[in-house]
Amino acid sequence: MKKRIVRIGPWTVRSLAVGRLYQAAKEEKTVQGRALRLLRSWLSPQQRVEFDRKGYFDVVGCDTGKRYRIRLGTSGNVNEIDEYGRLGKGWCFVPVGGLVLGDVMLAQKIALESDEARVLSIANSFPGPIRWRRPGTRPPEGRIPLGRAG
Amino acid sequence: MAVQIVMDHSGDSQHFFDNSNAEALVEAERLFLQFTSTGYTAAVRKGPGEVIRITAFDPTAEETLFLPRLVGG
Repeated sequence: MKKRIVRIGPWTVRSLAVGRLYQAAKEEKTVQGRALRLLRSWLSPQQRVEFDRKGYFDVVGCDTGKRYRIRLGTSGNVNEIDEYGRLGKGWCFVPVGGLVLGDVMLAQKIALESDEARVLSIANSFPGPIRWRRPGTRPPEGRIPLGRAG
Repeated sequence: MAVQIVMDHSGDSQHFFDNSNAEALVEAERLFLQFTSTGYTAAVRKGPGEVIRITAFDPTAEETLFLPRLVGG
């Protein structure tokens, strides 16, 4: 029986799969890979899905109940989110020691979820993104807030 | 086996210990005090994605994470 070999360009599907496997193993062994694996293991299932799909995840502050979005980055990557899901004021705080991306994001998540008031007292804030509205469009305040639809 | 994870420039360092062994617990508590006295914050996982900060050694915690001190960026 003749075996059918599927090709994508000059590569067989099998060689591409093996290449991806090697790449994944290589990434897993790097500092960045280890830190991202640690981050993913400490995220809630919902946060993990959000992070894998969109590159950010949301957390709820333990003291005020406010929602924050932690985006990929090592500084200036935390923003408040209002009830309409819009990015608001930004906060900048990082762990000392020049940690890599995954560790920084995990430290930010834990700090907001377990010690929000103290971390915001040491963080620097910056204004949220400027919003432009086209003439004739409804202001976002008129939309149904998140979690109240339906 | 329980584990203490310390965030550092290499990603993280992990110290595994048997939390049913008294000697291992003493060593784990010594490490806990060493890190928390130098500004690290200790956190444990209580459920999927649910994290709490602890200020005293918890011998029942399966996983304790130590984060370096945070500063304004």
